[in-house]
Amino acid sequence: MNPLIFTTILMTVLLGTMIVMMSSHWLMIWIGFEMNLLAIIPILMKKYNPRTMEASTKYFLTQATASMLLMMAIIINLMHSGQWTIMKVFNPTASIIMTSALAMKLGLTPFHFWVPEVTQGISLTSGLILLTWQKLAPMSILYQISPSINLNILLTMAVLSILVGGWGGLNQTQLRKIMAYSSIAHMGWMTAVLAYNPTLTMLNMLIYIMMTLTMFMLFIHSSSTTTLSLSHTWNKTPLTTTLILITLLSMGGLPPLSGFMPKWMIIQELTKNSSIILPTLMAIMALLNLYFYMRLTYSTSLTMFPSTNNMKMKWQFETKRITLLPPLIVMSSLLLPLTPMLSILD
Amino acid sequence: MLKIIIPTIMLMPLTWLSKKNMIWINTTTYSLLISLISLSLLNQPSNNSLNFSLMFFSDPLSAPLLVLTTWLLPLMLMASQHHLSKEPLIRKKLYITMLTMLQTFLIMTFTATELISFYILFEATLVPTLIIITRWGNQTERLNAGLYFLFYTLMGSLPLLVALISIQNLTGSLNFLLIQYWNQALPDSWSNIFLWLACMMAFMVKMPLYGLHLWLPKAHVEAPIAGSMVMAAILLKLGGYGMLRITTMLNPQTSFMAYPFLMLSLWGMIMTSSICLRQTDLKSLIAYSSVSHMALVIVAVLIQTPWSYMGATALMIAHGLTSSMLFCLANSNYERTHSRTMILARGLQTLLPLMAAWWLLASLTNLALPPSINLIGELFVVMSSFSWSNITIILMGANITITALYSLYMLITTQRGKYTHHINSIKPSFTRENALMALHMTPLLLLSLNPKIILGFTY
Repeated sequence: MNPLIFTTILMTVLLGTMIVMMSSHWLMIWIGFEMNLLAIIPILMKKYNPRTMEASTKYFLTQATASMLLMMAIIINLMHSGQWTIMKVFNPTASIIMTSALAMKLGLTPFHFWVPEVTQGISLTSGLILLTWQKLAPMSILYQISPSINLNILLTMAVLSILVGGWGGLNQTQLRKIMAYSSIAHMGWMTAVLAYNPTLTMLNMLIYIMMTLTMFMLFIHSSSTTTLSLSHTWNKTPLTTTLILITLLSMGGLPPLSGFMPKWMIIQELTKNSSIILPTLMAIMALLNLYFYMRLTYSTSLTMFPSTNNMKMKWQFETKRITLLPPLIVMSSLLLPLTPMLSILD
Repeated sequence: MLKIIIPTIMLMPLTWLSKKNMIWINTTTYSLLISLISLSLLNQPSNNSLNFSLMFFSDPLSAPLLVLTTWLLPLMLMASQHHLSKEPLIRKKLYITMLTMLQTFLIMTFTATELISFYILFEATLVPTLIIITRWGNQTERLNAGLYFLFYTLMGSLPLLVALISIQNLTGSLNFLLIQYWNQALPDSWSNIFLWLACMMAFMVKMPLYGLHLWLPKAHVEAPIAGSMVMAAILLKLGGYGMLRITTMLNPQTSFMAYPFLMLSLWGMIMTSSICLRQTDLKSLIAYSSVSHMALVIVAVLIQTPWSYMGATALMIAHGLTSSMLFCLANSNYERTHSRTMILARGLQTLLPLMAAWWLLASLTNLALPPSINLIGELFVVMSSFSWSNITIILMGANITITALYSLYMLITTQRGKYTHHINSIKPSFTRENALMALHMTPLLLLSLNPKIILGFTY
């Protein structure tokens, strides 16, 4: 794509999210979402083939539906409160509709069906933008309306997302679908604590974005989109296998890596609010996630996957540029001792 | 405590910056020096604990375990030299780094004051162990072994995290130094029963309890020698140590909640001992023997009498040294015949008499021959369980008999009789191997002269 046009479109995506995050008028939020959606379609379709077209169409349809539901919720809110300022949502119906709309945008169960298919159909870099940047805008709205969200719906969606994210990823070998299901599960963790302490939602979002960025960068670096091609990285850059191991274990939430921090904080917050069974269930279901991460690490770093002799002598023509990988890796694995610093997030 | 932790952490740069012919020498020497530092902790002057800071402390329970941990690192390094000799230098360094990382986490776990810090480090020990088992194990079953190990332990310990946080809510602090003075009886309610279960299941899986022990034979058998040594000697004791610490907070539910686990342990120790009699795989035999000994520790911890605590602690230390030594002996067989089948390497006394002496000593301590500390541990446990309920003497007596049976079975199969025709070309014992066995046996024999340092905090 023409670099100038690509820059403009990317800036529009960024601008759209910024408008959503910084507005105080509900209409501007809707405009921000639409700007974001329309601008990201060309980015999703960087490679022009039917698969990408299908993925972009699915994304557009679901997100447009969500935006329309959001508009309906905004109008109902306007009817009941008489003003457009974003504080909390004044009517329970509007609140439920808005939560469902934002869940559709985020990819929470029961609106998660588009995430694996869209992520699989697009290139790795677009998938990166989809799974990290696109979550910021809906999550910021959820943060702002968090006092008025119906707790039952929120927790049901959260727990079901963790379950679906864990269970759905079990049968996957395509890396993008694995990352998609991981995204669904992490969104579930984030929304579970939204009603209790939204700061932890932001913390989880931050650490999730760091880890997902790291994973995608590592995949882009080794140009691998399937488990099989990832298993050849020991030949190309052996260090990458160790990095993949560490980042995947961090995503699975194993101490002493930083992926444990959001889970620990969320469990602590939930337990302080006297719900004991819920965090136990959530933590156990996160083990499903850990299982397919472990399977990835097995094929990549801990064993030598069966491969033909040709694969053992792979040529690499140019090194791909990996931006910011070392700081990202450090941050996605070593942040746990800095947990007391959480107080700055308030 | 930093005087132990920082040198252990610095073993990692030492490994990476050493020259090719010096890595084993450097790391073994310095880890031996670190273990000498930790011996000073055994001097526990008062009934109270030695408090080094708000975050680290050592009391008569954790000091012997700490000394065992630091003693074991040089032994692990010595034992791994042979099977890593053909690997490229970076992989050797990675292996030593994994062992050192595991050592650091273990030291911090045994000395942690804050229970959540204990939990995080307890879980953190899983990652290097998993990498050691899966990356450097020898058979295809190691993948399954790693998964069983990781997931059994995690399933047990996630409820522990929730339980610890809810206890912190209740009591305001989880610092062990505070809690031991502030102990209140736990009110009797359904949720406290689940709290008891959540707290204990993590350690039951780790010990392991008989019904949850499936991960242990897999993990011990598939791990390389250093992995087997550290797992048998230390990681199982993490479970015992955790149980000993957390039962102080869980009264009075323990008096009735402990019954199912006591039954499982009492029956389990007989079952696993009996399974040992029918094993063909040498490492598997030693693994099941570990389950059996640890079942005794579980019985001791759940009875909660002063003598049983003394027995539990002594048994943990004694079993650590004995089991690690047995794994080293089995590994010396494995390195020669590349098979773990017992009968393929039989009649070794004729070929390797000095090693046969070590086999004899190890088997004798395994069956708890007086006056070794194994006997002291087992005897205290048997006596205290007799005072808890007279009938247990039948099961305990049967267990001691069967333990003797399988230990002697192992000894006679590997050492006595005519050797097979295919092993008369094995290499003679290396000095390294004899030194390894001596370093295992010497503390064991010396401790029988002054066992009170390993008898724990109820002495």
